[in-house]
Amino acid sequence: MTEPVIKVEKASKKFSKGLQHTMLYGVKDITRNIMGREAITDKIRKGEFWAVEDVSFTLKKGESLGIIGPNGSGKTTLLKMLNGIFMPDKGRISVKGRVGALIQVGAGFHPMLTGRENVYVNGAILGMRKKEIDKKFDSIVDFADIGDFLDAPVRHYSSGMYVRLGFAVAVHCDPDIMLVDEILAVGDREFAIKCYQKMHQIRKSGVSIVLVSHNEYVIREQTSNCLYLRNGKPEFLGSSEEGISRYIRDGIESRRREIVPERQEDSGIKKGAQLVLARFLDRDSNEITFIESGQELNIDIECIMREKLNKPIFGVNFYGLGGLMYCANSYYENMSFEGLPSGKVKIRINIPEFHLPADNYLCSVVLADESADNLIDWHNMAYKLVVGRAKNARGLIKLPTKWEVKEVDDA
Amino acid sequence: MEENVYFPNKHLKLGVRIWPRMFRDLIRSRELIWRLFLRNLAAKYKQAVLGYLWAFIMPFIPIGTFMFLNRAGIVNIGSTDMPYALFALIGLSIWQLFSVGIISGTNSIVSAGSVVSRINFPREVLVFASMAESIFEFLTKSVLIVLFFFAFKFRPSWCTVFFPLALIPILILTLGLSLLLSLINGVLRDTANVVSLLVTFLMFLTPVLYPISGAKALIFKLNPISPLITAPRDLIAHGCIKDPAGFVVATVLSFVLFFVAWRIFYIAETKIPERL
Repeated sequence: MTEPVIKVEKASKKFSKGLQHTMLYGVKDITRNIMGREAITDKIRKGEFWAVEDVSFTLKKGESLGIIGPNGSGKTTLLKMLNGIFMPDKGRISVKGRVGALIQVGAGFHPMLTGRENVYVNGAILGMRKKEIDKKFDSIVDFADIGDFLDAPVRHYSSGMYVRLGFAVAVHCDPDIMLVDEILAVGDREFAIKCYQKMHQIRKSGVSIVLVSHNEYVIREQTSNCLYLRNGKPEFLGSSEEGISRYIRDGIESRRREIVPERQEDSGIKKGAQLVLARFLDRDSNEITFIESGQELNIDIECIMREKLNKPIFGVNFYGLGGLMYCANSYYENMSFEGLPSGKVKIRINIPEFHLPADNYLCSVVLADESADNLIDWHNMAYKLVVGRAKNARGLIKLPTKWEVKEVDDA
Repeated sequence: MEENVYFPNKHLKLGVRIWPRMFRDLIRSRELIWRLFLRNLAAKYKQAVLGYLWAFIMPFIPIGTFMFLNRAGIVNIGSTDMPYALFALIGLSIWQLFSVGIISGTNSIVSAGSVVSRINFPREVLVFASMAESIFEFLTKSVLIVLFFFAFKFRPSWCTVFFPLALIPILILTLGLSLLLSLINGVLRDTANVVSLLVTFLMFLTPVLYPISGAKALIFKLNPISPLITAPRDLIAHGCIKDPAGFVVATVLSFVLFFVAWRIFYIAETKIPERL
């Protein structure tokens, strides 16, 4: 069945910026509607802005779509439009099938009621009939795994328990389309894994998923396509891999503009030597800006030695998203560069298999003497290397492995 | 498979076809209304030890005050068809169906909080379920009324069986006004306060604690809510309604208001999450 379950055609949504405008336009629009006249929706009035502008996409049954973008780019607004909470101001949205939402976990929970009672309230709000909840009750309780707390008032729950119960109910909604908005921030790791597994399960059973997330690893794993939004406008619609690369690249670019490459000219760091340039090369010594994870990487560092350094130490750091850092440092290799002549020197670091997760990396090069904190020169985040996912690999990196049959028991 | 299509000004474009849809949505949500109804009740009374008892004690305050004022000659209440305490209690019970109902109704959307702006469900359900509080308080007071029957050795007329039916118009009125006010409150937040004040004021313009007689009679006669209070009370006292025309007019007005309000609510409710 290749019929689309979600069809979005040039959907747009506007909001008012200030409270005054919100109230004023709210009253105006409602009054117009009551009078039987249409509200003016396709123009921007003073104090309004487009939160989502001209978004179009289709989602077929069983497909999953990720929505990514910086904060305030309209992701949640778009999701709410799919959920029928906001009406589009322009365009048209068609949604076929029962919609479930993992958006407001614990919607309708009242602190005074017990977990058991709240399951029924929450379930009813999500659209389940009492009979349906009765049938699924044991499964819900089992998934939530909160033990005796089920019969305690919800006000005594920790935030994690709250999420567990809310999620357990939402996940049993049995929808045809599931809308998920970054709700797994709370809840322990074990539970998060359970949730992603469950989402994977329902995807296999043909449920279409729309997932909003900042976590690129989640998007990569859970979705095949993604929509990248920026300032409400669609930047890219296509494979999740490429969408994420673009998103990260844009993020780095804007970050880059803020970071002035710190090639310290004279900043109190001793100038016995100076780093000139670092270059990334592939196996055949061609200069590259992109490498596939697991391939051979060569890093050439050119520097000028003015004085003789006692014990030069070279280091290269790769910074990925989330502050993850990977490092190659000659100090730890017991590589001695003693006795380097003065003048231009080129050092080559050879990494036979560059196993780093796919990401856009910013790279720093460091030159120190004798100990790591005795900095001579430092190019901070001045180089960029894009690492692509290794072919035929799942997970962050493809582990270098040898497989063999060790034992066979011919019983 | 159910298909939902969203486009600008959808509810307007549907025109008259909206009515069957509204009824269908309401009937479909009956379980949810009941659930929220129970939830609101449990929430209010679970932790208050005196909670249930308050419903018994509270009526005595205005009743006692007026009895005292009447005895002391400060206020001339006039003659009532039944012992004053009973008269006032019944009047107050019916009135509070309206007053408590309208205040919780006005607040219902806003106090539901983020659920409204994150989950898609028919929001009139919140208004309907908000009647829980006032209906429960009424039931509590009816127990008190029955006790009063015994205490004052008052024999109600057999028409009292129609008493619950006669309460329907005021309930419908309360629902209708709540639907409208909850909308307005969503955008203009001080509506709830204004309603609170107006309702308190309105009580004195309605024959709740005193009968229609004397100088105030004209105001009472002009007040469209008056028949909704006096008619059920008359049923208990006399077995017949003293002012049937007034009651019929008030009932019709209440129903009309309710349907208009419901329609408006349906049209406007999509705008509320934006402004909340």
